[in-house]
Amino acid sequence: MREEYPAPPVFSIQDMVFHAGDMLGLRCLTGSLGLEKPLASPEVSRPGLCLTGYTHKFLSNKIQIFGETEITMLEAMDTDARRRALANVFAFPVVCSVVSKGLSPPEELLEVSRKSGSALFLSPRDTTPLINDITGFLREVFAPRKAIHGSLVDVFGEGILCVGRSAIGKSEAVLGLLERGHRLIADDMVSVRRNGDILVGSGDPTTRYYMELRGLGFVNVPELFGIGAVKERQQIDLLVRLVDADRMGEMDRSGLETMTDDILGLKVPLVEIPVLPGRNVTVLLEVAAMLNIRKKNTGSSWSEQLNKELLEKLQQRRGPKEPP
Amino acid sequence: MKTRAITVPNKLGIHARPAALIVRKASEYLSEVFISNGVDEVNAKSIMGVMTLAAAGGTTVKISAEGPDEEKALEGVCEVVESGFGEEML
Repeated sequence: MREEYPAPPVFSIQDMVFHAGDMLGLRCLTGSLGLEKPLASPEVSRPGLCLTGYTHKFLSNKIQIFGETEITMLEAMDTDARRRALANVFAFPVVCSVVSKGLSPPEELLEVSRKSGSALFLSPRDTTPLINDITGFLREVFAPRKAIHGSLVDVFGEGILCVGRSAIGKSEAVLGLLERGHRLIADDMVSVRRNGDILVGSGDPTTRYYMELRGLGFVNVPELFGIGAVKERQQIDLLVRLVDADRMGEMDRSGLETMTDDILGLKVPLVEIPVLPGRNVTVLLEVAAMLNIRKKNTGSSWSEQLNKELLEKLQQRRGPKEPP
Repeated sequence: MKTRAITVPNKLGIHARPAALIVRKASEYLSEVFISNGVDEVNAKSIMGVMTLAAAGGTTVKISAEGPDEEKALEGVCEVVESGFGEEML
């Protein structure tokens, strides 16, 4: 359900109802009125203060949640006061409103919603969890995203996004990983979404779990390797670029140089693996995953550990020559 | 076969980063290139070998090259060492 959202800014209230209406328990009281309005933000607003007349900084472009506070306050008013209070809110172009906790909305709320062409929903859900679910859902919808040409595999729990020029052998390397019990998220095309400060990758709902192998056509990974060989989504921990062997000469051999690449504004650790006949890229990818795990757990790589030991030895052996 | 003795001029000596620079340079040539610390002689195209030498700053190493471009190879690798790898000198 999560992958096929229309790209913002065309995500409308109707889209939200279609994709999350059941989860949020939304029941519409205003028919098709105002459902075409686009949602502009993943945040919601509580209109309580605005009802009292403090309209400064009122966020009318967000979904307005009428919880127990708002509804009991409105109920305590007489009809005229209630109309005036609601007019404070609906003087703005309210995108839509939701009455939570199964509360019954005052007649005037329904009235003013209809008049201003703004949809009104009911939900039986408690206010705070409802707000959390709405913002959680909309955050995903509005999350920055990017399609990346590459393959995403879960290797020992590490999300390895394998990229490189076409025909360099990404799919073949991934096939090897699957055979060794690792899990495919998507081959060839990965949809990457930024979620706070992590990146999450998934595949297109139709083509994910298929791989194209030159000479063999398409294979269905869960049928070939079992359902355990696939996974719906995975955090991206490491970017591995397969490069042609002629780049080998320019590469750092000390293992001390760490590289990163920028994906959707986040820095992702990057390693480059030269592809040569006789180099088992699958095993190298496994080792890359383990290196990344070790680095995260201990803060240093084996290259750094070895060099530290060497530097200590060199210090003891230093020659007699002193600085001038 | 061309040979030259040279003092490691940087303070830290030949640790991983300088070793990587030596290996990269030596790999540009067809000739075999060797480095010796007087005890062991290692292939200058092998980073593990060059690190195993543990050539400290201020000690002398012997570099030799043998092959069709041995003079250039010797010159190139000696230059890298003499430059001090862009590090603090002794």
